[in-house]
Amino acid sequence: MIYLPIAEMPVAVLLILLVSGGVGFVSGLVGVGGGFIMTPALLFLGVPAPVAVATGASQIAATSFSGIMTQTRRKTVDWRMGLLLSIGGVLGSASGVALFERLLELGQLDLIVSILYLLLLSSVGFLMVRESYRFWRGRPAKSVSILRRPLKSIAHTLPFRLRFPRSGLYISVLPPLVIGFAIGVLSAIMGIGGGFILIPAMIYLLRMPTNVVIGTSQFQVMVIASLIVILQSMATQTVDLVLALLLMAGGVVGAQIGARIGAGMKAEYLRGILGALLVAASAKFLFDVVIPPEEQYVLGGGLW
Amino acid sequence: MKRLLAALAFVLLASAPATAQQQPGSDVADDLPAGVADENITVSSTYGGSYITVFGVNPDRRGRGDIVVVLRGPNEPATVMRKRRALGIGNAFGIWVNGDPVRFSEAPSFFAVLSSRPLREIASAESIWRYQLDPAASARLASAIPAGGDPSAYRAALVRLRHEQNLYQWYTRPPQEGVRGGLTAYRGGLFRAVVRLPANAPIAQYHADTYLFRDGRLISRQRIPIAITRVGIERTIHDLAMNVSWLYGIVTVLLALLAGWGAAVVFRRP
Repeated sequence: MIYLPIAEMPVAVLLILLVSGGVGFVSGLVGVGGGFIMTPALLFLGVPAPVAVATGASQIAATSFSGIMTQTRRKTVDWRMGLLLSIGGVLGSASGVALFERLLELGQLDLIVSILYLLLLSSVGFLMVRESYRFWRGRPAKSVSILRRPLKSIAHTLPFRLRFPRSGLYISVLPPLVIGFAIGVLSAIMGIGGGFILIPAMIYLLRMPTNVVIGTSQFQVMVIASLIVILQSMATQTVDLVLALLLMAGGVVGAQIGARIGAGMKAEYLRGILGALLVAASAKFLFDVVIPPEEQYVLGGGLW
Repeated sequence: MKRLLAALAFVLLASAPATAQQQPGSDVADDLPAGVADENITVSSTYGGSYITVFGVNPDRRGRGDIVVVLRGPNEPATVMRKRRALGIGNAFGIWVNGDPVRFSEAPSFFAVLSSRPLREIASAESIWRYQLDPAASARLASAIPAGGDPSAYRAALVRLRHEQNLYQWYTRPPQEGVRGGLTAYRGGLFRAVVRLPANAPIAQYHADTYLFRDGRLISRQRIPIAITRVGIERTIHDLAMNVSWLYGIVTVLLALLAGWGAAVVFRRP
């Protein structure tokens, strides 16, 4: 047992290491960031929502930085695009933290976080299950390759166009800024990296080639997560350093082990299993907000 | 540093009688002989809650009257909200949101009351209210009750929710098998009260108040301050997070990046 100085609660070290290691393992296995599993896992362990969200961001910064190290060696990071997404993300996460603070004051933070997770987990889980099912039936979903992607999208017609040599694009700067902003807001409120929203947006909206998508999204995720840690520390004082260290330790090791094992397995089946788990987890969130509560009153207004 | 400590000690000593007089109702002598086992409880990284022991002697030579011991945390503002349906179709379905907030300007952050029989048999209702021997009596409403709301229901909800978190406790019996908390009376008027302080109780300045009641009236009492403080790494981290929060944030990020870098190097594929 160790006493968390900010969450002001004792936790079992081994349990936290197991959970963060497990989340890291799953994320390494399937190839998704762990934030959207880690935050709900911490909530289930009884960590107050503000601490879970703010502290989870530090673990996301750690795993994404580890990913960037690998991607840089492969030269698959579009720095210019990453920077542009980050500028949008900086503005988004600053607004997100302000919104987070306001919701905390109003006593609605837990509810908003639950509803956002409900929507997020069920939709992502559903998409994963569907993709896996199609693969199993022998009809893989239409993949987006450099050759097949349509040449023009809304990003090509808006003003303020800029050249992105590494992605081979000449598009408006507005869509990346807007996408970065939206991811920043979601990250700040939900404690997610947002990679699994960012990557489809980059492929389908910006028409970026798939080989640079992962590295570039990890760059933006790292910038945003780092900024959120600093902003949350200053605004709400809910970043727990001891918990953060435990999560990082478990998370990065789990992710590396997961990635090793996952390399030899069919990713589509793994995603199907994870998707089913996510749908099941979202049912719990649905249950919480829809079922008439036994206790009519709640404490609120303070930090938690 | 020593001079600073001496100055601090002087300020503490000088202010001690002042805090003692802040106790509600000041027409009774503060002469009940009592003490605590530990006046300073420290919170380190292995902290998992604590026990507070208060002992004393009933000053009545014939042992008449009842002893009541109250352990109080600092008063703080609190908010109680009531869940209500929103976005529903009629009354059949909908999501439950937190609404109708009611604010208390002050409510004890921790409250434990110990006696050897139910409080209502010991003190009159007026005394319970006046000397705040009940957490509900200490909670002060600060905002209007929303339409259709019941003030006493909100007050009761505050007490019930805090009781579920073990922040409000009451004992009317001596410690039992498996329950360490309670008030024990020994021969010769000696008494001992043990309170379980859970790990989620706020880290702050507490007060242990002992009262002697006879025939429903307060005869004598005593107030003893108990400090709960962080020590060691817990204190360093907490102070850093609260006072130099920007630096704390940057340190956390740097540690995160270091962990990520370390993992990438250690697990680098040959």
